[in-house]
Amino acid sequence: MRFDVVIIGGGLAGTRAATELQKSGLKCILVAEGLSLNNCPKNEFKAAGGTVLQGDRVVSGVFEGNRLIRVFTEKLGNEPLEAGQFVLATGKYFSRGLVADMDKVYEPVFNLDIEYDSDRLTWFDPSFAAPQRFLEFGVKTSGGVALKGGVPIVNLFPAGEVLSGVSSAQGDATEQILNSAREAVRAIRRN
Amino acid sequence: MPSKNEFDVIIIGGGITGAGTARDCAMRGLKVLLIERHDIATGATGRNHGLLHSGARYAVKDSESAEECIRENKILRSIASNCVEDTGGLFITLLEDEEAGFGLDYQQKFIDACLRAGIEARAISPSEAREMEPSVNPSLIGAVVVPDGSVDPFRLCAANVTDAAMHGAKVLVYTEFIDFIREGDTILGVKVLDTRTGLKAEYRAPVTVNAAGIWGHGVAQKAGVHIGMYPAKGALLVFGHRVNNVVINRCRKSADGDILVPGDSVTVIGTTSTKIPFEECDHMEVTPEEVRLLLREGCALCPALASTRILRAYAGVRPLVADDSDPTGRSISRGIVCLDHETRDGVKGFVSITGGKLMTYRLMAELATDLVCRKLGVNQACSTAETPLPGSVDGRIETVSKRFEGKVTAGQKGAAGRQGDLAGKLRFDSEADKQLVCECENVTLAEIKYAVAELGVRTLGDLRRRTRVGMGTCQGTLCIRKAAKALAEALGDPSLESKLAADYLDERWKGMRAVGWGDTLREMEFMQRVYKFEKPYSYDEI
Amino acid sequence: MQENNISTGNFEQCQKCSLCETVCPVMANNPDYGGPKRSGPDGQRYRLKNGIFYDDSLKYCLNCKRCEVACPSGVRIADLIQQARIEFSQKSPKLRDVMLASTDQMGPLASAVAPIVNFSLGLAPVKGLLDFTIGLDHRRTLPKYSSETFVHWFNKNAASRQDSYKKHISYFHGCYANYNYPQLAKDFVAVMNAFGYGVHLIEGERCCGVAKIANGMIPAATRDAKANMSAFSKSLVKGRDIITVSTTCTMTLLEEYPELLKVDNSGIKEHISLVEPFLYKAIESGELKPVWKEGWKARAAYHCPCHQERLGLGIFTTELLKMIPGLELTELESNCCGIAGTYGFKKENFKVSQMIGKKLFDDIASAAPEFVACECETCKWQIEMSTGVPVKNPVSILAEALDLEKTSELNCR
Repeated sequence: MRFDVVIIGGGLAGTRAATELQKSGLKCILVAEGLSLNNCPKNEFKAAGGTVLQGDRVVSGVFEGNRLIRVFTEKLGNEPLEAGQFVLATGKYFSRGLVADMDKVYEPVFNLDIEYDSDRLTWFDPSFAAPQRFLEFGVKTSGGVALKGGVPIVNLFPAGEVLSGVSSAQGDATEQILNSAREAVRAIRRN
Repeated sequence: MPSKNEFDVIIIGGGITGAGTARDCAMRGLKVLLIERHDIATGATGRNHGLLHSGARYAVKDSESAEECIRENKILRSIASNCVEDTGGLFITLLEDEEAGFGLDYQQKFIDACLRAGIEARAISPSEAREMEPSVNPSLIGAVVVPDGSVDPFRLCAANVTDAAMHGAKVLVYTEFIDFIREGDTILGVKVLDTRTGLKAEYRAPVTVNAAGIWGHGVAQKAGVHIGMYPAKGALLVFGHRVNNVVINRCRKSADGDILVPGDSVTVIGTTSTKIPFEECDHMEVTPEEVRLLLREGCALCPALASTRILRAYAGVRPLVADDSDPTGRSISRGIVCLDHETRDGVKGFVSITGGKLMTYRLMAELATDLVCRKLGVNQACSTAETPLPGSVDGRIETVSKRFEGKVTAGQKGAAGRQGDLAGKLRFDSEADKQLVCECENVTLAEIKYAVAELGVRTLGDLRRRTRVGMGTCQGTLCIRKAAKALAEALGDPSLESKLAADYLDERWKGMRAVGWGDTLREMEFMQRVYKFEKPYSYDEI
Repeated sequence: MQENNISTGNFEQCQKCSLCETVCPVMANNPDYGGPKRSGPDGQRYRLKNGIFYDDSLKYCLNCKRCEVACPSGVRIADLIQQARIEFSQKSPKLRDVMLASTDQMGPLASAVAPIVNFSLGLAPVKGLLDFTIGLDHRRTLPKYSSETFVHWFNKNAASRQDSYKKHISYFHGCYANYNYPQLAKDFVAVMNAFGYGVHLIEGERCCGVAKIANGMIPAATRDAKANMSAFSKSLVKGRDIITVSTTCTMTLLEEYPELLKVDNSGIKEHISLVEPFLYKAIESGELKPVWKEGWKARAAYHCPCHQERLGLGIFTTELLKMIPGLELTELESNCCGIAGTYGFKKENFKVSQMIGKKLFDDIASAAPEFVACECETCKWQIEMSTGVPVKNPVSILAEALDLEKTSELNCR
C-alpha cells in the first residue's frame, strides 16, 4: 500500500504529527502497537481521512541510499507500506521504541544511532525521585532526521520521546514532545 | 512484683534465630523480651534462597550438618506446614561436572553419604529427571532425587514471633540495642533506642541472648567479648515466575549460583559468596559481575533462565564464625555456635547463639533456650518440635480457602496460602475489603488490615514481608500508592501515606536497578511515570 | 547473556499497565469478571504455582481479543485465558454448549428439517422451553438453517464448470455459509469466477472448531484441526491456495491451532488468505481488473469485527470497499457487538451481551446507513437482531457492485 507519510507510533507525538499532516492534505497511515499510556484518541485523525493500523507494529524497513522507502509490519506480512516520508514516534522503553539489554540500548526497528552510556551503573540514581539517566537516552538526529551508521536518513523524522533528551516519565514534557512533532510536520511539508 | 521493664530473658535480634528462641523461651514459661532494630526477618533471614534443605548439600563434607538438616526438615514439614512447600529436589550432574571430577562416581559417593545421614536419596535417569522437572538442563547426565523443599522465611519468622507473643512475649521492633547495663562482670540488661520516636529505654533480665546474626559481632563487643565473625555476602536473583517446580542443585562441591528454588510465585537463583567488611553489611549492592555469574550458573541448571524476566536482585550476609578450637581463628565453624560467655569469657548473664542456618533455627533456639533455662534454674522441656506454629495447625490452602463464605475470590485464596489457618481472622465485611490492593500477588485490603492489627506492621516493607504486597511482576508500580493509603489509614495517621510510599519506592528501586534492562527497565520507566506524573495527558488540552 | 524475554503467550512481558482493562467489553458490563489482566497474565503466575488459583469467572471472557490489540507489550492475553480454561476447567460442557458448539453436527440435522426447525425456533413457547431447559436465551433471534446446504447446491449447479478456469483456488466455506447462509458462498463463487478463478471445495473440510474451543470441547476441536490441516495439505499439493470468507474461522486456522490446540500449521498457514486481502492485492497490482456496474450506489457503514481487528487485516477490507465507485463508506468506531460467537446465545450472557453491543448499535443508528458492511457472521445476527439494519458481507457487496459479466470478459481471457 502506498501513502504519502507513514507515522510509526500512536502516542502523543505520532498522533499529533499524523493529524496535522493528514489535515494538510497528505495521505497518512498511523501504525500503533497497542494503546498509548497517554491515551491519545485517533478520532480527529480518522475524521480527516487518516488510516490507523491498531495493534500492529513495524518490524523492518528497506532503505535505498539515504532514504527509507518502505516498511513491513507484523500483521500485514509481505504487504509493504510505502511512502515518501516517515515519522518515527515509538517512544522510549515502555513502548519499545528503545530496547535495553544487559549492556546496550538500541533502536529495534531500523537500528538507528543512539545516544547512551554503555556503563549500566551510570543509568540509575539510587534515589527513586532523583533524575535517572536512562530516561535521557534516545535516537540521535542531525537537522531533524535520524542517523544510521552516521549517515543521515533524509526522510525519517524522529519525534517525541524516542529522541535523546526527551522524556515525560519524570515530569511534564508535553511542550517538548509537541514541538518535536511540529518540527517533523514542518520538515515533511517542506520536502 | 517485677516492674514492666523486667524480664526473665532479653533476646537481641528479630531474625529467625531470635524469633525461634523467643518462642521456645516463652513456651517454657519464661517472661521474654525480643528487641529488633528494624523489622523482623530483615537480615540474613529474609535474604536467602528460601530453601528447605534436605541436608544433601552437606552430606559429603559435613555429615553432622546433614543429619541436623534432615531432622529439622522433617520437623518443619510438620510444625510449619503453611510456610513450607514440598517441591522435592534434584541434584543434577552435567558433563562439565564430570570433567571437573564430579561425575557419576561422585554421584554414588554423594548418594551413599546422604543415606548414611538419613536422607532419602535415589538416582534417576536423565529422562526421568526431565519428566519430573521439564525446565531442567536437558543435557544432564545424571540426577538424584532428595527431599528438598522451599520455605518462606518471612512467614516462618512471623509465625515464630506471633507464637512467642501468644505465649506472653513482648516484642519490640524498630528498637535498637545501644549498650548493656552492666555491673562488674555481670550483664543486667540492655539500653535501647526506639528508632522511630528517638526515645531511650532500659530493660533488665538475668540473661540476655545475642541472636543478632552478623551484627552479633558488634553486640558481643559491647559486652567486651570477642566472637571471630566474618561477613560473607551472598547475592541472589528473583525471576518473574515459577520457572521450575522442583528445587534444582548441582551434584558437585558447593559453589556459586548452584541452587534454583521455586518459592511462592517466583524462582530464586543463588548465591555468590564474598567476604566483605563489616561496614558494608548495611549497604549491600549487587554488582553486574555477580549478576552475570548467577545468570551463567543459573542457565546451567535451567537454560530457560536466559530468557526469563528478572524481577530484582538482593544480597544477604552469612555470619561465618571462627572455630574457637583453632587458635589462629582461620577455621570456620560449620555448625551451630552456642556460647556461654560466663564459662568462655567470664561475663555472666550473656549468651550468644550464632552460626547455623535457617534450616536449623529451631534447634539453635532449643540449644540457646536450654542454656538460658539452666542459668535461670528452670526445668522445662522443649516442645517446639511437636507444636505446630500459628497458621500451620491446619493450614493447607485447599482446606483454608474452603472456609470462606460464598464464592472464594483470588484474594482469599492468596491469603489462605500466606496466612494459613489464621486467614480465618480476615474480615471481609465490605466490598472494599475484598478488593485487591496488590493484583500481582492477590493481596486484599482485608489482609492488609489484618497484618496491621495482628502482625506488627509499620512500613510497607513490613507489610511486604507479611503479605507479599509489591513483590510481584510490577514491583509495586500499581499497588504502592493504594497500599500506602490503606496502611496509613490502618495505622490511624493518613498523613503518613506519602512517606510510606516514598520509602518503599526507594527500596523496590534498589533491587530493580541491579537488573535494569529488558522488561524490567520498561517497568522502571513505567514506575517513574506512575509516581512522577501528576496529571495524565488529555488530548483536549493540546 | 540474557536474550529477549520468552514466556507462554508473552505473559511475563506484561507491565501491569492495565490498558487492556480499558477496552475489555465484559469487564465494563459484568462485575463478576476480573478482567483480562487478572484473568490472563496475573492469574498465570499463580496458576503455575497451584491449580487452585484457577478462577471460574474466566468463562465470562468472550475471546474478542480486544485486550491483545490494546496491549503495548504483545501479551497474548485472551490466549492465556483460553489456555487456562482448557487446562483447568473441571466442568464438562453442558448439553446446550455442546449443541451450540457442534455447528457441523447440528447443521446437517437441522438443514434436513429446516422449515420445521426454523418454524419451531421462532415460536415463543419453543424458545421459552429452550430457555428453560438448556439455557438458550428466549429473547434471542436464533440463526435460521437453510433447506439446501451450499455444498449440495455447489455440487449440483457449479462444480462441473470450475475446471474450465485458468487459475484455481480452494474455498474454505465454514459451517455458517454452508448451513445457515449459502447465499454468501454463492456470491463468493460468482465473484471469484468473474475474476477468472475456478473455485474448489476442500475434500474433507471440517468445522474450524472455534465454537468447540469456546465451549471447552478441546479434544473434538483438536480432531477438527488435525483433519483440516491434512485436508489443506492435499489442496496445496494441487497448487491451490486456500481462500476463506469468515474472519473467525481464519483466525482459528491461523492463530488458535498452534497457540491453543498445539496443532502445527506451519507451511500451510502461509497459503491461507482471507478473501479481502487476496482480492485487494491482486486488484492493486493490476492482476485483476474489476468492472463496476454503471450507476450502482449505496451508503454503508463498516463494522470491523473483533477478530478482524486482532488479525489486523481490516485495512484490506476498507481499502477494497473504497475501490467501489458508487459506495459511500463510513467507518464505525471499533467496538464489540457483544455476541462473540456462541457467547451471547447463552442465557447467563444475554444481558451483558446486549450491554456490550449498545455503543455499536447507537453508532449504527446515528450513521443511519442502508446497510452495515461486516465480514463476520455472528456480528450479522447480533446487529440485525438489535438494530434492524441489514448486514452485508463485503463479498456480497462486491457481487452486487461488480458487473460480473464484463468483469468476467476482462479477466477470463
